[in-house]
This record gives sequence, structure tokens and C-alpha cells, in this order.
Amino acid sequence: MTQTLTRHSGAPAAAPPARAPRRRGADTRAGYTFLLPWLLGFILLTVGPMLSSLYLSFTNYNLFEAPKWIGLENYTSLFQDERFLQSVGVTLGYVVFGTPLKLAAALAVALLLNAATRGQGFYRSAFYAPSLIGASVSIAIVWKAMFGDSGPVDQGLSFFGINLGGWVGNPSMTMPMMILLTVWQFGAPMVIFLAGLKQIPQELYEAASVDGAGRFRKFVNITFPMLSPVVFFNLLLETIHAFQIFASAYIISNGEGGPAGSTLFYTLYLYLRGFSDFRMGYASAMAWLLVIAVGVITLIFFRTSKSWVHYSGDAK
Amino acid sequence: MISRRKFLTAVAAGTVSAATLAACGAPAGQTGSADNPVTITYTWWGNDDRAERTRKAIAVFEKKNPDVKVNGNFTDFAGYWQKRATEAAGGGLPDVMQWDLSYLRDYAQRNQLLDLGTVKINTDAFDKTLLPSGQIRGKTYGIPTSTNAFAVYYDPAKLKEIGVAEPAGTWTYAEYKAWLTKIGQAGGGKYFGGSDFTGIWWQFNIWLRQKGIDAFTGDGKLGFSKDDLRTWLNMNSDLRGTNAVVPADRSAQVKPKSPFGSNLTVSENTWDNFMAGYLKDSGAKELKLVPIPSDDPENLGLFLKPSMLMVASAKTKYKDAAARFIDFMVNDPEVGDIFKTSRGVPASKTQRDGTTFEGTDKAVVDYETSIGKYLKDAPEPPIVGFGTLEAAFLRVNEDLNYGKFTVDGAVDQWFKEAEDVIKQNA
Repeated sequence: MTQTLTRHSGAPAAAPPARAPRRRGADTRAGYTFLLPWLLGFILLTVGPMLSSLYLSFTNYNLFEAPKWIGLENYTSLFQDERFLQSVGVTLGYVVFGTPLKLAAALAVALLLNAATRGQGFYRSAFYAPSLIGASVSIAIVWKAMFGDSGPVDQGLSFFGINLGGWVGNPSMTMPMMILLTVWQFGAPMVIFLAGLKQIPQELYEAASVDGAGRFRKFVNITFPMLSPVVFFNLLLETIHAFQIFASAYIISNGEGGPAGSTLFYTLYLYLRGFSDFRMGYASAMAWLLVIAVGVITLIFFRTSKSWVHYSGDAK
Repeated sequence: MISRRKFLTAVAAGTVSAATLAACGAPAGQTGSADNPVTITYTWWGNDDRAERTRKAIAVFEKKNPDVKVNGNFTDFAGYWQKRATEAAGGGLPDVMQWDLSYLRDYAQRNQLLDLGTVKINTDAFDKTLLPSGQIRGKTYGIPTSTNAFAVYYDPAKLKEIGVAEPAGTWTYAEYKAWLTKIGQAGGGKYFGGSDFTGIWWQFNIWLRQKGIDAFTGDGKLGFSKDDLRTWLNMNSDLRGTNAVVPADRSAQVKPKSPFGSNLTVSENTWDNFMAGYLKDSGAKELKLVPIPSDDPENLGLFLKPSMLMVASAKTKYKDAAARFIDFMVNDPEVGDIFKTSRGVPASKTQRDGTTFEGTDKAVVDYETSIGKYLKDAPEPPIVGFGTLEAAFLRVNEDLNYGKFTVDGAVDQWFKEAEDVIKQNA
């Protein structure tokens, strides 16, 4: 079979671009043949599971017995579930505070690194490194140890006379800790910001200098507007990303979302419902609500973006 | 370009050869021979120590049963159940599994486990009060490998350090609480008395038994009332927030270790087979065990629980080989000597007799012997969804210690979740 395929697969590429309808049909078929592995993967591993999860979200399914159709019951009971509401609150707090802070840090460092200084390459790699290893389990473990009782952070703050104790066991300190973890991983948006900064024509700054504009004015009137498509892209990506936080929360709270539910992120609760409580229908409903929520937020971003995102060549 | 005919021929040829290959790999039958052994899969939870002991046991089994090969693998406890849930959904549970009482009903009642009454497993050497704990609706789904009993652990060296006397061995709840308070005062913030004992489901269960109440009814409902739970949680309300009980944030810090294993507390109420783990975590030289308190000196509510069970998948193709492996793991004296008390005290007499217990192993065996006269029948395997209820019990108590709930709020919260679980699984 392999032999047959290799012998024939070279043919479409070698064929001259034909305009006859019959040839076009053959080209299309060849195209789909080449697309087939990806298409199969997409249908079997993405579309299929999504559709079955949509179906399961209307059922009571415990993984062992056939799902029982219960209509919208999962969706309605979600809103009477205090743990669900708590997980929504925790996640929103994380998105609303964590994402802008992370982007601000990324932009600030990108501006610093954009200036031509010695050892630029080193600094760029050094700042990018945390986001490469940041999603890993080991970093979450290190983070937990750092912020634990008499860990380095506690020790350091005590030196300045601030006695907060360990952050890990304190429900009001776990969220700042999680936000610090995400802010620290600003490398990916930073690299994109850097690329964006390189695209801004230097003439604009020169012209502004001639007009006597200072650094702040240049940033507000040139850098930010010129960078706004990149800011928009990063904001959208990081917001969606923040909604999906799971691994670090799972590790730091031992998979429980504690203490006192303060790290019960949406996806963590979803996971616990599905695999610990055997409520796969309920978990599926939660997953679809998340898809809808992220979709709506993306839509709002796109709608409002018109007023502040400027593309070069825009009429505005 | 591939012609349609050629393409179809190729697909057909591929399918046929794949089918042929699959046929070659398929077992010839349900039994093997020394030349062509059958392979069964076995899975357990545990650490490296247990893995090493299990590999030794498997090697002995394979030597004695050349017609069977055992393919073993393991994970930690938390990941274990998530993996089993996924496998069960896909219809591919391992042939033989180490099991926990908490999940026995979930899987047995949903026809995932083999009725072990239909195969040959020798249970003559078992205590007759223990076997019902592996049975549901009169059928046997699990055979206990070993037993554990509930106890109060304490660290004699720490007590000596702070000048508090060791407990005598029989005590009421009032005496027990006074002892915790004394440790809290003498420990001066370095050591706390213990964890909040009202947050441990099994301790609550034993207290109910001391009052003659079954935790669950035969038809899968709760056997106790909101008032019972309220009384129970109120038993410790004067100790919460004092040094008698370790603060919630301190015990959250040291997770996944226990406060006792982290040397924060001087005592801990739990199962007696945790000895080796506590010694390793805390670095203590010696830990002692006494029975848990009871206000009725004749009824301590204690029982021997199977610390773990052996079960087989309902879909196993090798019932005979699976049964022989289970029989071997629970009865063979060599296996008993390999595991000692690391799975709990061996449940079958042949395994206990074939083993010499020394040091900490001896302390655990001695404890179970010493409480022998108080032991009653083990409770039936808990209801479907018990894992969720037990986790909620712990969580609600943690919230109580964080001051998120009052006792009344905690009771309402737990009952709400329990009723939801029972309704779901009705």
C-alpha cells in the first residue's frame, strides 16, 4: 500500500496547472487526500468529542452507565451550586486582575529591552525563560515552597517587618500569589510586544522630537496607538489563556481548590466534578458555559476594539 | 493519481492484514500453558516501597504459576481513581486491581467488578466478621488483603519534651479534649494538640456506632440526622482557634503531608497502618497507638476495616488466572512476609502465621490484638458516591476552621451536598 501511494502521490504536484473542470476535480480530490490525516484528526479528536460533550451536557452521565437525558437540568442546577458560583468568582478575579498586570509587565520590559543596549540577547532570553518553564508542574511546586510557611518570601518580608506568614494556607493571600505567578510568566506577550515595537517607523519619533515631544508624549501619541493591534492581540490571547488556568492551581492546592475554596478555579472545579464526583454531564455543561462565556467576551473585545485599535492604513 | 479501484484495493488489503495481525495476537483461549502463558494486568496505588514489594510478590507468583504472566503498574492514590473512572467508561479495566472500600459500591453496583463467588478463592483463613465488608447484596466483589483499625497516634518524645503525661489507653471524650488542651498550653505554639478530630469522617462514623447509629441505611440513605452532625461538630467548638487544635492555615501549608507527620501536632487520629509513613515523614523514633475515646467504656465503636481489597474486572477474559492471582496475594505466606504490615495487618491467618513482625510492624499488630475484645462487625461498604461525601466532610470542616461557616452553616452545607449525591445515584 505504501508503495502504491508513493508512486502516485508525486503526480498532482508535477501536473501542470490545469484549467479544465475535470482536472480541477482531480486536484481537489488530491488536495483532500493530502488534507485527510489532519482532517481525520480534527473530526475524530476535536469535533467529535465536542459534539459528544454537547450531548452529554444535557444528560446525567456517571461514566459507567448509559447517559440519561435530563434536558437543561445541569445548566439550571449550576446556578444553585455555591461551589460553582465561587469558582466563577475566583476565575473572574484572576482574569480581571492578572491579565492587565501581566500585559503591563510584558510591555514595560519590552520597552526597556527595545532600547539598544549591550547584552540585549541575554536579557531577552532571561525574561522569556519563565514563560517557557512556567506552565510546568515543577514551577508550581517551587512556587508553593517559596510562598509557604517560613519560605523565602515569608522570610524576606519579615526582614522588612512585614509578617504575613505563609501565603499558601491563607485564603486572602492565595489569589495574589497566583496572580504573581502569571505576571512572572510575561515572556510570551513580551516577545510579541518587542516584535510590534520594531515595526514602528523611527521617522515618527524623529518628527515628534522635532516638535519637542517628551518621552511620555511619544509613548501616548505614537507608541501606544501604533502598537494597539499588538496590544489587542495579546489582550485577547492572554484573557482566553487566563480562563483556562488549571495546572498550577491543581498543584498548589493539591487538587482541592483550597484553602477555603480560594483557588477553586473554573477548570479545576470542572475537572473535580467530572473525574472525582463522576458527574460528567455536569462537567460538560460547565465546559460549554465556558466556551460561550469566552466567545461572548471575545466578541465584546472585537466590538470595542474599533474605538482604540488603529491599523496602519486605517481611514481614522 | 490513485485510481479509485487501486485505492480501495489497498485499503481492503490493509484491513485484511490488520485483522490477521490482530487474530495472531488474540489469546487461543482462557487458559494458558507454560509455553504459551496468558497475561493478566494488575494495578495498585502506592509508593516505590510498595512497588518493589509487589514486584517481588509477582515474581513468586509467576514462578509458581508458569502459565500466567502478570503485567503490573501503579500510580498514587489520587490519580488512581481518575484513571479507573476513565478506563471503566471505555470498558477496559485491568484484570485484577487493588481496591478501596470507599469505591467498592460505586463500581460493584454498576456491574464493573467480577462476582468473586463464581470463581475459586480460598477464604477459610479469614475472620468471618471481615468478609462482609467486601460483599454487596450478598455477592462478594472484594477480598481484603489486610486490616486496619482506627486509633489515636501520639509521639511520646514530644510529650516528654513539654511535660505532658502519656494517655492511659481508655478515655472519655472529655478526658481526651482535656489532654489536647494541656498539650496546646504546654506546647506554647510550637506543638499543637492534634488536628480537628471532628473533620474526619471515620471518626464521626465510629462515634455514631458508639451511640448505636449506622451511618448509612441499607437502601443507600443517611442513617443519621442533622442534629447528630450538629452535636458532633459542636463537640470541638470550644477547642477551635486554641492551641489544642492545629490552625487551618498551618495544616494547609504542609499539605500533602499531615500536620502530625510535619511535627506540628503531638497526636493524630487515623488508621493504624499509617505508622511507617508517619515515622518517615516526622523522623520520630517511636510513635504509640491507643484506642480512640468513647463515653461508653464497653462500646468503642471500633471495627477492623479492610485496608485494601483485591477485585477483578467483570470483563476479564481470564477469570481463572485472575482468581488464582487474588488467592495468592491474600493467602500465600510468602506474600505476607514480603508486605509485613505495609498494607495493614494481613487479613488471612496463613499470612499472619507465615510472617515475623518486628519493631513498628509489631506495634501495629499488637494494637489490633489489644483492641480485639472491642471489635464489632465492620460496616457495609459505604453508599455510591461516598468518595464525594467524604471529601465534602473534610472540606466543610476546613471551612469551619477558617471561620467561613458556623457549625449550623457547615451542617446545612454538608447535608445539601449529601442529598444531592444520593439523589444523583438513586
